[in-house]
Amino acid sequence: MTKLAINDLTVRYGKLTALDDLSFAVEEGARVFISGPNGAGKSSLLKAIAGVAPTAHGRIEMDGDILNGASPESIARKGLSMVPEGREVFGQLTIEENLMIGTGIRRDRSAVAEDLWEIYNAFPILGERRHANAGALSGGQQQMLVIGRALMTNPKLMMIDEPSLGLAPKIVDQVYDTLLELQALKGLTLLIVEQSSARAARVGGRMILMRGGRIVGDGDAAELGAEDSLRDAYFGQSKPVKEAS
Amino acid sequence: MTSLSQLFFDAASLGGIYALAALGIALIFGVMNLVNFAHGEYITFCVFALIVPSTDAAAHLFLGKAPAIVLVPVMLMIGGGLAVLSEALIFRRLRNATPVTMMIASFALGFVLQYALLAAYGGRPKAVSLWPGLNTPVELLGASVPLLQLLVIGVTVAILVILFLLLRHTRLGLEMRAAAENFTMARMLGVKANRVITGAFAISGALAAAVALILVTQTGVADVRMGGPVMLVAFIATVIGGMGSLPGAVAAGFLLGAASVMLQAFLPLDARPFRDAFLYSLVIGCLLLRPQGLFASASAKPRV
Repeated sequence: MTKLAINDLTVRYGKLTALDDLSFAVEEGARVFISGPNGAGKSSLLKAIAGVAPTAHGRIEMDGDILNGASPESIARKGLSMVPEGREVFGQLTIEENLMIGTGIRRDRSAVAEDLWEIYNAFPILGERRHANAGALSGGQQQMLVIGRALMTNPKLMMIDEPSLGLAPKIVDQVYDTLLELQALKGLTLLIVEQSSARAARVGGRMILMRGGRIVGDGDAAELGAEDSLRDAYFGQSKPVKEAS
Repeated sequence: MTSLSQLFFDAASLGGIYALAALGIALIFGVMNLVNFAHGEYITFCVFALIVPSTDAAAHLFLGKAPAIVLVPVMLMIGGGLAVLSEALIFRRLRNATPVTMMIASFALGFVLQYALLAAYGGRPKAVSLWPGLNTPVELLGASVPLLQLLVIGVTVAILVILFLLLRHTRLGLEMRAAAENFTMARMLGVKANRVITGAFAISGALAAAVALILVTQTGVADVRMGGPVMLVAFIATVIGGMGSLPGAVAAGFLLGAASVMLQAFLPLDARPFRDAFLYSLVIGCLLLRPQGLFASASAKPRV
């Protein structure tokens, strides 16, 4: 079943075209990596889906509902959760408060306590320090916190922008291990921006390769990572390079 | 000679008024980066809601005739309602505008409110006698303190405690604190922008109504220009408190009240008429030393 369908999506910032007539679909329960060089439009894609970047034209559908034009909060209420680049924890709030913010949209209030316990189980450090300010956590711990925070909204589709940014490889392993466990447990659909194609190949899943606001490759992460298309995406001259954010 | 305890009560009650007004400004700035210069006119509007609209020199109590137990909640609702209405009619449409645009719109709203009151009530200050019994002096710690002063201090502390509990222990409070730190992120987690902003305006307006009740009881005057000076000092308090920091706004409000009372008491007689010049010199000194505000920590964003 199709979870997310993107049709002819274009995003512009002034004269800059960040996304250029992009189309793809994501099956329910899939794990999709989005890779490509800086300025390929990966973050813009996630932001457009989450409702925080305006779409110039095109259509974004989740479960048949049209998302573009809707406010970020109503998109979140449809079961889509976003972990943006740079993590963006609420540093002045406690860890537990960070985790609880997103639960306001849930109807199954009784399950919230259980989910919180589950997050603390998956990331014990968060449980130990749950009354500490989130700003006091290390980068890796903050990454765990924002993943936990997104999970607490009980999403069906979760988007993560560069979970490995600025983290030691060991911590990244840990983040992905937990993520995969949680995906298997909850039947989540995952859309992950990942710079490292080696990492994506190792974790496994589908990979969409972007360059200049377009898709230049789409296939199995392990296969695509080995092909020339990857080199082309980063260094190739096959398509005119458009500057994008 | 005024005693030290007398000075303390003066400073605490004046500072309390400044702190409450500063909180009203800081709350809205925190969630939407708007410096609402109409806040002073919210206060004035609430004062005039107490009396019958007429251009007569003498004021006739209108809402003011109601017993306190009815009057206080009604006033808080009028203040909150006015603020929520101004958000819905004006600021909501400007939500994506620059802070400067929003600020100028708030100036305009302030003028509209002020001139509407001028048209309905006339420009002359009116004597209003609300709860005259509260000005009876009480002997306390060797000082003769009007009952009202004690009440103001008590009410200020009570409001601060209630607001603290609301922000710490309710869902709206949690959402407001999150929104103050990172509004977009909060929205991506399902926090409704309208709910948070309307909540902030409602609380801010209710605080303006509380200030109005205190001011009118203390001064016994209703004047269409009375909100302006309070707004000015309160705005300064939010700036030196670190824009948007609620504890900072409260502390700076009390600090300004204390500084004002101290200058009044200890300046040489000839210099006292220029008290405000000395006060604002201190403010400039503060800002030169700590431009980010007294209470904004170096690492954290100057927020709740």
